[in-house]
Amino acid sequence: MITIEKLNAFGANTAEGLGRCFGNEALFLKLVATIPGEGNFDKLKNALDAGDLENAFLAAHALKGVLGNLSLTPIYTPVVEITELLRNKTAADYSALLADILAKKEELGKLCAD
Amino acid sequence: MKKLRQITTVKRHVLIVDDEVVNREILGNILSVNYDVEYADNAKEALAALSKQDKQFALILLDLLMPVMDGFEFLKKRETSETLKHIPVIVMTSEKESEVRSLKLGAADFIAKPFDMPEVVLARCERIIELFEDQDIIRQTERDHVSGLYTKDYFFEYIRQIELWSKDIPRDAIVFDIEQFHLVNEFCGRDFGDRLLAEIGDALEKELAPMNAIACRADADTFYIFATHQENYDSVRNRIQGILTEFFEVNHIRVRFGLWENVDRNVEIEAWFDRAKAACDKNRGDLSQSFTRYNNEMHSRYMFEETLIRDLQSAIDNRNLIVYYQPKYNIEGDTPKLTSAEALIRWIHPTLGFISPGDFIPLFEGNGLIQKVDNFVWNEVAKQIRKWKDEFGVTVPVSVNVSRIDILDPELEAKLMRLLDENGLSPEEYMLEVTESAYCENMERLIEVIENLRTKGFRIEMDDFGSGYSSLNMITTLPIDILKIDMSFVRNMEKDERNLKLVELVAGIAKFLKIPAVAEGVETESQLATLKDMGCQIIQGYFFSKPVPPKDFTPFIEKELERRRGA
Repeated sequence: MITIEKLNAFGANTAEGLGRCFGNEALFLKLVATIPGEGNFDKLKNALDAGDLENAFLAAHALKGVLGNLSLTPIYTPVVEITELLRNKTAADYSALLADILAKKEELGKLCAD
Repeated sequence: MKKLRQITTVKRHVLIVDDEVVNREILGNILSVNYDVEYADNAKEALAALSKQDKQFALILLDLLMPVMDGFEFLKKRETSETLKHIPVIVMTSEKESEVRSLKLGAADFIAKPFDMPEVVLARCERIIELFEDQDIIRQTERDHVSGLYTKDYFFEYIRQIELWSKDIPRDAIVFDIEQFHLVNEFCGRDFGDRLLAEIGDALEKELAPMNAIACRADADTFYIFATHQENYDSVRNRIQGILTEFFEVNHIRVRFGLWENVDRNVEIEAWFDRAKAACDKNRGDLSQSFTRYNNEMHSRYMFEETLIRDLQSAIDNRNLIVYYQPKYNIEGDTPKLTSAEALIRWIHPTLGFISPGDFIPLFEGNGLIQKVDNFVWNEVAKQIRKWKDEFGVTVPVSVNVSRIDILDPELEAKLMRLLDENGLSPEEYMLEVTESAYCENMERLIEVIENLRTKGFRIEMDDFGSGYSSLNMITTLPIDILKIDMSFVRNMEKDERNLKLVELVAGIAKFLKIPAVAEGVETESQLATLKDMGCQIIQGYFFSKPVPPKDFTPFIEKELERRRGA
């Protein structure tokens, strides 16, 4: 089960995230726990694999909003970076960034599952 | 005063449109503090929720990038919908470009993602709801529903705003009205009158657009225009007069214009239109002109009247208003007998000197201040009757004027009774004069009031009889105790046969009604003799005495007492 302590150790800005939830810890943690199962991670990966930068942008953009609101900084930071690159349809190698994002998501998934 | 929304306990409905559960829930958690929150996954779902008639939404929070139908598509659809247009939309976005685009599409505001602190989000939502609700109230109240023009309050407020940044541009204040408009409503019905006003409103909007002008319907058939100075307003006048002629297919229902050119910015905005209205009123009944400019002569008159209005209260407080008394004599026997007196008001102004009642009485009758004057006179007179009664042991009944506006005062009877009670007098010692024209204007109400007063014991004199339009049939039903012949007939009766006949006629009517006739304005012995021959019993006028202050009236009472002792 995810806790504030675990999230702090993960590097999330829990004070900010909790503040946005009006201090409702249960709500905050419930929403954080949905992130590992968030469908836009797969959409992002699949679109990038297919070279579909438009749909990759839409998925990254959606993730950026959600992760930002929960202040999950370790995943949010690379997602912001990839979103901006995709917005400009920059021809680049996204694999390292994607791997970083997915790794952080996995890490959070484990914290939630423990 | 608190606004209704601040004291109401009913929560407003707010719709959050976002495809991301996390965002929806965070925002919903914040907003549910103050609002009843509903959710939609995308814009299409939002449109379905909004189309339901059972709920009125106060605010929509809209994500932009969503599947099925995105936020931009929603904003475009909203722009063309009369219902949706009135619900404010706050867009949730993290893109600057999207902010601009959505504001251009009619969004009221935006909330950045990630969201600000909850207090900030709540404050923004509250502000937008308040702004739109206020805007809606203004929209509902800014227009006069009959003419489609601005309402008077909105018009003045609008001018105040315009004046903040353009005081140096010469502007004109114009007032126009339709002569005898009340007859239009009476003869053709209110619907017809309203259609005419709507047509005028429509024409004004079109005429004024190129003039950089605004207009309102200030009252019934009176319109105000505020325009950048023009050489003339012929086109407006011709257009309005054209509508009237077309509506009535006659030329004698006409529009009258009053104009104050290059308004003086040192004067209050409302006064610009008061002055233009004064110019407009100057046209009353004058068919030779329909457009009058406010000029120096009018200005002097206007300022004089404003001074009188301003100084009335201090005139009462400082006793610059003085009640004079003119004796009335019964001439039936060989020796005239003092029967009563009439109270007449005089104003000695500290700077303007003696002010003719002809100047201030019609003015105060027009604006309602006459009630203040009447109440003052009634009070003074009651005290004076009491004083003479104490001093001489007799009552000198005094008649006072009851103006048209007093008749409509539901407190009239109570006021008079209180006055008599305070001074230990009975209604029989106090007489009330009502002018004939007041009888003609609101006859049913007046008869009812007068009947009540007579039941209490007051005696009623009908003043200026013959100057109004009483029908012979009406005269027989009027509740009156004394008929006063209009002064102008008496004054001219020796010069003009027709006036003599009229006096004879009125004296005859009094005889028919078995009530005394009073002739006022009697100045000569021959007038007195003529009136006596006609059977007129009571005489008032310079022949006996001009109106005098109370101290100069005492000798008349003393002389009367002496006469009685001799008899």
